[in-house]
Amino acid sequence: MANDNMIQIPFIALSIVLPLLGLTCLAYFQDYLGRRLALVFSGLSVICIIGALYISIASGTNFVAEQYSYYIPALSVLLNLRLDPISFALSLMAGIVAFVALLSGNTEQEHEKLAGSLILLFQASAMGLFAAGNLFLFFIFWDVGVVAMFFMLYMLGSANRRRAAMKFLLYELLASLFLLLAIMMIYFYTPLHSFDIQYIIQNSQLIPTGTQLLIFFFLFAAFLINMPVFPVHLWLPDAHTEASTQGSMLLSGALTKFGGYGMILTFFMLPMSSQFSVFIAILATFSAFYAAFVLMTVRDIKRIVAYTTIVEMSIILLAIASQNGLGIAGATFGMLAHGFTISLLFLAAGSTGHMFGERDIRVLRGVVKNAFETAYTFLTGVFATTGVPLTAAFIGDVLIFMGALQAFSLFGIIPLIALLLTGTYLYYVINKSFLSTKEVTQNINYIGASQRAGYLLLIACIFFFGIAPFIILNLFNV
Amino acid sequence: MVQIALSVMENVYILLSAISAFVLFGVIAPLHKRKKLQLTLSTLSLIMVVIGASYVFTASPFVSTVSLFAIYPFSMFFVILFSIALILINILSYRNAKDYIQFSTMLSFIGLGLFAVSMANSLITILLGIELVTIPTAFAILLNGKNYVEAAVKLFIMAAIGVSMIAFAIVLLFPLDPQLSLSMTISNSSSTATYLSLLSLLLFIAGLSFDASLFPFNLWVPDVYAGAPGYITALLAGVNKKIAFVALFEILFIVMAPFSSTFALLFQGLAIVTMFFGNIAAMIQDNVKRLFAYSSISQAGYIAIGLATATAYGISASIFQIAAHMFMIIGTFAIVMWLEQKNVKTLNDYNGLSARNGFAALSLTVFMLSMIGMPPLMGFVGKFLLFTGAISANLLPLAVLAIINSFISVYYYAKVILAMYSKREREALPADASVNAVVWICLILIVLLGIYPQPLITITSISAASLQLLH
Repeated sequence: MANDNMIQIPFIALSIVLPLLGLTCLAYFQDYLGRRLALVFSGLSVICIIGALYISIASGTNFVAEQYSYYIPALSVLLNLRLDPISFALSLMAGIVAFVALLSGNTEQEHEKLAGSLILLFQASAMGLFAAGNLFLFFIFWDVGVVAMFFMLYMLGSANRRRAAMKFLLYELLASLFLLLAIMMIYFYTPLHSFDIQYIIQNSQLIPTGTQLLIFFFLFAAFLINMPVFPVHLWLPDAHTEASTQGSMLLSGALTKFGGYGMILTFFMLPMSSQFSVFIAILATFSAFYAAFVLMTVRDIKRIVAYTTIVEMSIILLAIASQNGLGIAGATFGMLAHGFTISLLFLAAGSTGHMFGERDIRVLRGVVKNAFETAYTFLTGVFATTGVPLTAAFIGDVLIFMGALQAFSLFGIIPLIALLLTGTYLYYVINKSFLSTKEVTQNINYIGASQRAGYLLLIACIFFFGIAPFIILNLFNV
Repeated sequence: MVQIALSVMENVYILLSAISAFVLFGVIAPLHKRKKLQLTLSTLSLIMVVIGASYVFTASPFVSTVSLFAIYPFSMFFVILFSIALILINILSYRNAKDYIQFSTMLSFIGLGLFAVSMANSLITILLGIELVTIPTAFAILLNGKNYVEAAVKLFIMAAIGVSMIAFAIVLLFPLDPQLSLSMTISNSSSTATYLSLLSLLLFIAGLSFDASLFPFNLWVPDVYAGAPGYITALLAGVNKKIAFVALFEILFIVMAPFSSTFALLFQGLAIVTMFFGNIAAMIQDNVKRLFAYSSISQAGYIAIGLATATAYGISASIFQIAAHMFMIIGTFAIVMWLEQKNVKTLNDYNGLSARNGFAALSLTVFMLSMIGMPPLMGFVGKFLLFTGAISANLLPLAVLAIINSFISVYYYAKVILAMYSKREREALPADASVNAVVWICLILIVLLGIYPQPLITITSISAASLQLLH
């Protein structure tokens, strides 16, 4: 809690409201002014999260909570927001990714108003979801995010986008219905009928064991679909292949983290779920290898990057399943790193597609010749994915595999091989299509200053959190 | 009986005279035939009804007028709700009805029936009220010309069967209480009396299921909904169906309260089959009006979940969902009616609607997202309350099936949304002022009460709890 002598600014609430204000500005002002104002509000929302982080560090606690009046007294739903170390990292990442997507994702400069307003709506929902103090708000923000993302996939993107968007919607709604059922069951089986996450964490052992099992199954299914991990991952590659650059950045950068965050919460809320951790770890390992092998047969850059998301998210599931301090910190840091990295890769891949009109690695040659920024940015993204030291992913991977080693002994580091396979293939892709200069594909378009700014910002974030990970990790040790 | 202050009594007089004024204006409308005057007068009198009823609601008195009517929170809530719905239908029909003056006369009878059922304190009042609602509706369809005879006759026959079943059910209860008051006590003393009451219960449920469009009795619904002009479809789906639920609440939870475990079981079955029937049939529809007819059947199934729980919480959830669905479906059918006049009927015609009229496409999308149960819209809160009610009454399988149904329904709602937002450039469609007014009202209510549902939840739970008072 913040000290009394500090000025009380409702940073968390502001971080949710500001993107919505930006949305209003975008709708009511002229194109140019509206777009500038939207960017300003989106950025201010990120600054609010940093402000909340500052309060938390200055006051020596590892969380900031804000509580307002009752939202729905009849259901005892409070309007309470709470940022703990995990949600600090994730909402900071989601805010920056949304800001960069707004700034530079729209290489084609089509439907800027529509895309911008959907991004801002999504940003508000992501900020709200990570800061939600109770499951009712969590569910509301979850569904708002899914609907915003659906329209983004459906209205913006390439020719076959409708089918992919429909697939996305069906998978995600199935997940959200599982989630709804689980939330309602938790509400009725806790003694005081509460949605409050802190209360549930303290009192979940009072729920009958059979019901706990059922709730765990529903929550696990919901978050597994969203993450996505092996048996229910099919929506992700299609959605990414057809999505616009902005859509891809937010989808992999922020939306898949909803599931990761929810999975961490599930393990916190239901301690009995640790009895399944070995099975979950096996599933995660299998999923990582599966995605890595499928990845090697894919030729579209965006699809390749999409499959790396599945590999990474499987490894994060492994970290969550390992159920120790290192694992949770690793999962959080891994998601933070992955959010920045994957949006950078998608931004570079989208810009490549825009510049050369081609995303197939069998055709694309010599990107470095005509678009060296994009080529080297993609290279940096690949370095960051494979966990080269000084990038944020390195810290994440070290923590994850140390946690897995602690929990599952040597079996825990088997997925490292999948990560290496992914890395190998990505270097092969880079070498073959981006860096070779024997033949050169001709540009049809060029990228602008806003794309370069986006590259810089994301690369800066990747290295900043790679060099100074203690900003987030210190919070875990308070 | 509770002593009532004079000021409350005055408010009751204001309420009753406003209702009388509404009916009177409708009856004398054919004498002056001034459309604008009639619209103003009837809307003003309905607003007076709302004001009078809300004053009495907050005072929470319990008045029994000649033992036919009772004024208590439950009745006042529905008087307010139906007045708002009647205002919307009135605005909608002003430009679109073929003969607004005659429709307005019919609407005044319908309104009288609605208020009678809402405030009923006797089974006879319920019977008369249901008749007053359904039969003028059939005539109102007929007013539009020869093309509508089929729908009108179908509705008339179904209404007649339903009403006769209710009448028979009432007759069976006559030996127990010759006054037929809702507060009658059903004794379990002799087995004959119990069997007769059970038979009467079944007949009530069957008779009212015709109007409530619960499964085996709803095969007429798509034909009549699709065959009637749009503003009457809005009336049928938004008002006539809801009044049957109000009558069911009054009969089941006041008169038949001792049999609650029996009818709860019955309604579990009815809710499940109705939801599945509506949702699965809607998936294969091509005509959008028919699609929404089936969707409103499935919504009736969701509302029936509250009856299946047979708890005060479940009833209040049902009442909330009734209010939510009323605004969603009136707004939806307002748009569908307006598009039908522009010859936009099938899913194929809906392609590219967003480019032709952005507001219509956006608001229809919001209505459908609300029907799916997307937060933060009113439909989500309604469904959430219903499902939590089912779980709290230990009906987890029912809640799971209902959630599966919500998932199935996404398919056909998404089909319409996707059609509207697909790219196909065609000429713009000019908006209609009265349709837009109705859509705006519904839209604002759905979004506001979705984001901040607490006031309505409080009101519905007071209403649900007050049902016990009457016994």
